Amino acid sequence: MRYLRLLAIQLRTSLLLSMQYRADFLLDAFVEVFWMATAILPLVVVFRVRPVIAGWSFGDALMVMGWFTFLQGVLEGAINPSLVTVVEHIRKGTLDFVLIKPADAQFLVSTARFQPWRAVNVATSLGLFAWGFARLGRGPSAGDVALAAVAMVAAVVVLYSLWMLTVSAAFYFVRIDNLSQLFGAVFDAARWPVQIFRGVVRAVFTFVIPLALMTTYPAEALLGRLGTGTLLGALAGAAAAFVITRLVWTASIGKYTSAGG
Amino acid sequence: MIRVRALRKHYQVHERPPGVAGALRSLFHRTYKAVAAVDGIDFDIAASERVGFLGPNGAGKTTTLKVLSGLLHPTSGEVSVDGHEPRRRDDAFLQKIMLVLGQKQQLLWDLPPSDTFELNRAVYGVPRDEYAATLRELTELLELGDLVRKPARTLSLGERMKCELAAALIHRPKVLFLDEPTIGLDVSMQATVRGFVERYNQRYGATILLTSHYMEDVQRLCPRVIVIDKGKLVYDGALEALVARIRPDKRVVLRFTRPVDRADLADLGTVVRHGAGDTVLDVHKDAVNRVVTQALARLPVADLTVENPPLEEVMSELFARGHAEPSP
Repeated sequence: MRYLRLLAIQLRTSLLLSMQYRADFLLDAFVEVFWMATAILPLVVVFRVRPVIAGWSFGDALMVMGWFTFLQGVLEGAINPSLVTVVEHIRKGTLDFVLIKPADAQFLVSTARFQPWRAVNVATSLGLFAWGFARLGRGPSAGDVALAAVAMVAAVVVLYSLWMLTVSAAFYFVRIDNLSQLFGAVFDAARWPVQIFRGVVRAVFTFVIPLALMTTYPAEALLGRLGTGTLLGALAGAAAAFVITRLVWTASIGKYTSAGG
Repeated sequence: MIRVRALRKHYQVHERPPGVAGALRSLFHRTYKAVAAVDGIDFDIAASERVGFLGPNGAGKTTTLKVLSGLLHPTSGEVSVDGHEPRRRDDAFLQKIMLVLGQKQQLLWDLPPSDTFELNRAVYGVPRDEYAATLRELTELLELGDLVRKPARTLSLGERMKCELAAALIHRPKVLFLDEPTIGLDVSMQATVRGFVERYNQRYGATILLTSHYMEDVQRLCPRVIVIDKGKLVYDGALEALVARIRPDKRVVLRFTRPVDRADLADLGTVVRHGAGDTVLDVHKDAVNRVVTQALARLPVADLTVENPPLEEVMSELFARGHAEPSP
């Protein structure tokens, strides 16, 4: 309850901050639309040549694209801004002020900054789903939507955990810009169904950097073809990732040496 | 209130030889050296005491404050603050303390300070009516006026420091660690901050441990000082006693109606300065009476004052002696 109130006040602060920069808001919205268009383009081109790839039709693939857009919104709107702030705190030594507050430090840093207008992505992803189902000539069942939502929760938890682990690395290396850029580049591959990849790459994208779990599974759930076993596996994986992240974060805090006198 | 026993904090520091070759070598083979930032210090501070924490740069002052506030884990030793072990960082402990770092800021850069206050109110769970009362008092004591409604980035350094202090005290901490709270401030703003710290201490009975490079801060605020150098405790006691022990001399400042030969001053005391304006002599405190009488009788004195030697000089002398003289 207390943490819900804290979350509300953190959101309020972020909202105030983003309203300080109205011009940024407009620019960001424009850039976002542009990126969305370029992101869909390769999909359109590829499916024009071959109607079905690795068992995915264009309509099916739009579900993956929809979840990718949604997750990108979560990443850019709720995860990345906060974590950029933590790295900044670590570099400047102002993490002191976070650690000295009587509330969970991981919670405080993870909710420090939101970019509310990224909610635009949610609307876009709904549009992509609608387009996809129109191509398929049917709609999703209520059960499938519920399953997809559950799969998405697992996806968000995994994404958050991976990002948090990257940030924990900042305690040891301080500059992690490259690491997070690399991660961003890899995350881009999540717009494709994982079945498109083969061999080692697919294994990596399923177990190491679980892109499959992030977009392919929720898409399959929405299409009504995700096995229960896979979903449970995804949930277990997400829970494990969260616990590991918590442990690594706690250890990192213990190692924290502060900066700048 | 605060109890420190045999506190040690060592850092592993990566060492590398200078130059490109050294840097290359250290990429593959690193050598580490343990640096003792704090090397076995003990002290106790009673509730509502104001203590100055002195030492040259790198003496371990900030490290000690960070250990006391739970940010750093001690390598060894025992630390307790109002019955809590700081490194556990439990909420009850964190509710009671605050660390103000003059060189870092917690105010949200793009928002008015009032939004940071509001955030802290929520984090510390301060009830609304209590918050309103505290804020009223802080606004009055610090003369904040409508500063709190301007974005922090538009405030001057001094204004920002006042708001930093207010943000740090929303939860009325019982223990206040101040690390260089007046750094970079102009003289009148320093005086404002000093006056505020004193009143906060008196009004709430808060325990205050303060580091500063401005001796004026320490002289005005702290009846007791703890001096550390190279991680070791050099002195703990009354400021006056420290001055008397290190520099038993008084400073006699003379102004003459006509020029006086330097040779005429030699038997009075050590001549620190002898110029057109004034003449400064260091005189042992027991000899002050005799010297003043002689000077008035023998020399064309227009004005005469007796002062303590500047604390800056006392400190640099203390640190120059190193550990030659153990504390009592």
